[in-house]
Amino acid sequence: MLKKSRLLALLLMLCLVFPLVAQGQVESAPAKEIELRWASIWVGNDSKAPAVEALVAEYNAKNAGKIKVVIEPQPDYNAYEQKVRTSLAAGQAPADIFTIKFNPTTATFYQSNLLMDFAKVMDPSWKQTFDAGSLEQSTVDGMLKSLPMETAILPIWYNMDAFKKVGITELPTTLEGMFAAFDKLKAAGITPTSQMTGDTNAWTSMIWFSHFAVSLGGTNVWEKSFTDPAFVEAAKLTKRMITEYSTSDAVGLGAGGSGGHFLAGRTAVFSNGPWYAGRADLAATPFFNSIKIAGLPPAGSTKDFMISRLQANICAASSKDKAREAAIVDFLKFLTSAPSISKLAETSGAMFAIKTDYRPTKPLQKQFYDVAAAAKTTAFDLEAALGSEATLEFAQQLGALALGRISAEEFCALVDRKIER
Amino acid sequence: MQAVGTHRSRVWTARVLFLLPVSVLFFFFFIYPFLFTIYTSFTSWRGIGSMKFNGLANYAKLLGDPTFRKALGNNVVWALSQGFIQVPLACLIAMILVRKPRFWRSLRTIYYLPNVISTVALAMVWVAIYNVEGPLNAILGALFGAEKRNWLGNPDTALFAVIFQTVIYIGYFMIILLASAMNIPRSLYEAAEIDGASTFQQELNITLPMLRGSLITTMTLAMAYGMRHFESTFLMTGGGPAYATTTMGIDLYLKMDALRYSEASTAGVFLILMGTVVITVLRKIFGSSDPMSEMAQ
Amino acid sequence: MKHTYTPAQIIANFLKWILLLSLLAVALLPLLWLLVSSLRTNLELQTNPFGWPEKMQWVNYTKALAMASLPRLLLNSAVVAASSVILNSAVTAMASFILARERFRGRDVLYTLFTAGVLVPVISFMVPYFSLITKSGLYNTLLALVLVYTAVNIPVSIFLVTAFMKSIPRELEEASVIDGCGFFKRFSVIILPLSRSGLVTAATFCFIYSWNEFLMAMLLTSSIESRTIQLGIKFFTSQFITDYASMYAAVIITIIPSIVGYVFLHDKIIGGLTAGGVKG
Repeated sequence: MLKKSRLLALLLMLCLVFPLVAQGQVESAPAKEIELRWASIWVGNDSKAPAVEALVAEYNAKNAGKIKVVIEPQPDYNAYEQKVRTSLAAGQAPADIFTIKFNPTTATFYQSNLLMDFAKVMDPSWKQTFDAGSLEQSTVDGMLKSLPMETAILPIWYNMDAFKKVGITELPTTLEGMFAAFDKLKAAGITPTSQMTGDTNAWTSMIWFSHFAVSLGGTNVWEKSFTDPAFVEAAKLTKRMITEYSTSDAVGLGAGGSGGHFLAGRTAVFSNGPWYAGRADLAATPFFNSIKIAGLPPAGSTKDFMISRLQANICAASSKDKAREAAIVDFLKFLTSAPSISKLAETSGAMFAIKTDYRPTKPLQKQFYDVAAAAKTTAFDLEAALGSEATLEFAQQLGALALGRISAEEFCALVDRKIER
Repeated sequence: MQAVGTHRSRVWTARVLFLLPVSVLFFFFFIYPFLFTIYTSFTSWRGIGSMKFNGLANYAKLLGDPTFRKALGNNVVWALSQGFIQVPLACLIAMILVRKPRFWRSLRTIYYLPNVISTVALAMVWVAIYNVEGPLNAILGALFGAEKRNWLGNPDTALFAVIFQTVIYIGYFMIILLASAMNIPRSLYEAAEIDGASTFQQELNITLPMLRGSLITTMTLAMAYGMRHFESTFLMTGGGPAYATTTMGIDLYLKMDALRYSEASTAGVFLILMGTVVITVLRKIFGSSDPMSEMAQ
Repeated sequence: MKHTYTPAQIIANFLKWILLLSLLAVALLPLLWLLVSSLRTNLELQTNPFGWPEKMQWVNYTKALAMASLPRLLLNSAVVAASSVILNSAVTAMASFILARERFRGRDVLYTLFTAGVLVPVISFMVPYFSLITKSGLYNTLLALVLVYTAVNIPVSIFLVTAFMKSIPRELEEASVIDGCGFFKRFSVIILPLSRSGLVTAATFCFIYSWNEFLMAMLLTSSIESRTIQLGIKFFTSQFITDYASMYAAVIITIIPSIVGYVFLHDKIIGGLTAGGVKG
């Protein structure tokens, strides 16, 4: 018995020593080299990952001995957001450089002095490279604590092969025309649209709702109370989409399921951002070259708009160390320079808030750029405009609305309660 | 008498030393965070910015929140189902396995297997199983001609569906009860066999009384897990639809997502309080778990 | 023992096997589904989640194995899990002994305090844990994870082990004291061996928890040297896309050590115990 306990104690010692030794990166670099840690979500499977890696390598090579950027991979997006929130709440920045999805909820991060205010360090030439609208959207109370980087439009995707099967070659231009087309699809055994109420934001249906709401209430509709008739009507239309023109599992369905239906050809109309265009499994579908992206036929008086949002903004940790601050600014200038962004756009199909000469050649990605350029005005989607709490309530109650448990008015009232003004 | 004095102080030193490591760890990882949580529950804190004291305002808001009340109700359902369905079922399996039917070793291993697999993977599997076009509806349709249901998307069936999924984790409670059951002396059964007692009588009069302490322990544990439940439901439904499956744990998590840290702390304090209350009440009804009083020998 | 089967016994036997086999299906089928799905393509999984692979996609396994630093992540997970188990078992055994076998004022209060921890949802402690770990300089170390996992499992372990220790007859202990056993001998020679099944059970739970834990590992580490395998699996997800097929392959790869470990350890230790039986 004694021997066993001795052995156990020894094993215990060993097991505790190993982790003590296996620390994370210890700074053994020469004292002068500034190490910047970037908690990056553009790693692993993300389409921007290879370009980001190459850019960081390029920058480190150019600044060897002075500045070194180290990527800390953050593969799981939800856990990453959790980490950002938790570290800020615990009083420290998650890393020297990190990204956020900019919306009213994350905009409260600006109140923290843990973030660097770019308004103070931005010179006019750097400012020029950014799209002015995006910069303005990213400014709160005169503070610019995040730089707009990745943007997105959220159009509707039409599988024209499916429409051809029922004899339709042009996209419907009126709402009635759209319903008629959907009825034809249904008669031919094709479910018209992908819808979903699951996940934390009912993504696909949320986009549909946003298109309806903006068309009915104008691009500033999000400033109105959610009980406004525009929202009520949009809710009724979205409910109709879910109950009459979608799959039987739409209620409670997640983004994976919604996309899966479209990829499998089970639904004819979908909605998502530019990142989806670069997917290998999408390219493998037989109808890939017949996908057309556009808006919806107008439900109201506002037309010729596109739903767009700031997809990723870059933040930096504020630092009292002037050298460190300068290093961060220098790297971010490099990262947001036109050549860098062109490289990112080329290999990923993502869209950016920085003006470049890059134009995609692949047909679907090209459509995204064309549609974005052709839109006369843009408006936010619900999540980008109202933040995560209201969006969660939207998603939770959308299922109840679709099942007829609550009326559209009740639905809007419930969501309105969660909006902070 | 002096010998007794030094002996007593030595015993006390030993006791303190033996309790020290646990106490230190417990202090840093439970007491300190709990004090932090209690403190923040009396403030208005959004993660960023300062903590302003605001008294019982958060608690009032919490109790007035219909979503939280629903969550509390769901947790009670969880606790009851875990304690009074899951554990008795696990006990039944343990009692069957302890008699070593064929393949009992393999069965024991396989029953525990799902606990070894990450909850994320199993949640994904069951979301697919519960899908309208999925295998569950297919089997029910084939066997009973039942109509296809959207198990997780319908507020009426969602809670039942997520609770039912935990049957895959029955091995967790089973091995606790199995370990206790295996400690019951075989001689008792042999004596009963000689007296002509049937298997059923043996189980009723020997196994169950001997397992009483272990059962109460396991049921208490299961109920505690029920009160704090978060993961598998969140992975499968995110708390929906229309908050039908939300638990206090999920509500807490969602509040943190929205940066409402103070309110999340309030929910946390309340969760622990409610858990204590529910478990104390249920234990009072079913007697203490002190097996010292059970020892017949 | 003679078996004379009455009709009631036959029905009972039949029902018993229905129960056992249904549970077997419920436990095994998800695992089999994971295995089958890991050999399909993502498109196949999207279009028909419950089908059979068109072609065996062994490439998913090569992708999973080629995943950055898989061996290092597996090693880290193994070390963290093993250390947590050892530390947790050691501190629990010591504390439970006092709580179960010693009588003193405040014992029950202490016991209730420790086991009340079972009610705590660890997610609510994210901010204080983050604060604690970063302020003590343990951010991004395996030691941080070991301490967190050990501590988090203390309530459950104490709950279980105390219950097992309480069930040991007083007479055995009293007999040993008469024989001259002191405090330590009572602990190591009498109580510890007899509560082995409780300790092993608690250790198993701790191991499984530490092996599968993801949230704290993601929160408290940032580089490969201190990350665990569950984070590695997430490499197949990104903000928008999940490569489910390769992820399932990675999941299968990570399950195998836990299954092997569990089958080997549990079978040996629990199996060995029942051979002798407890002297009545």
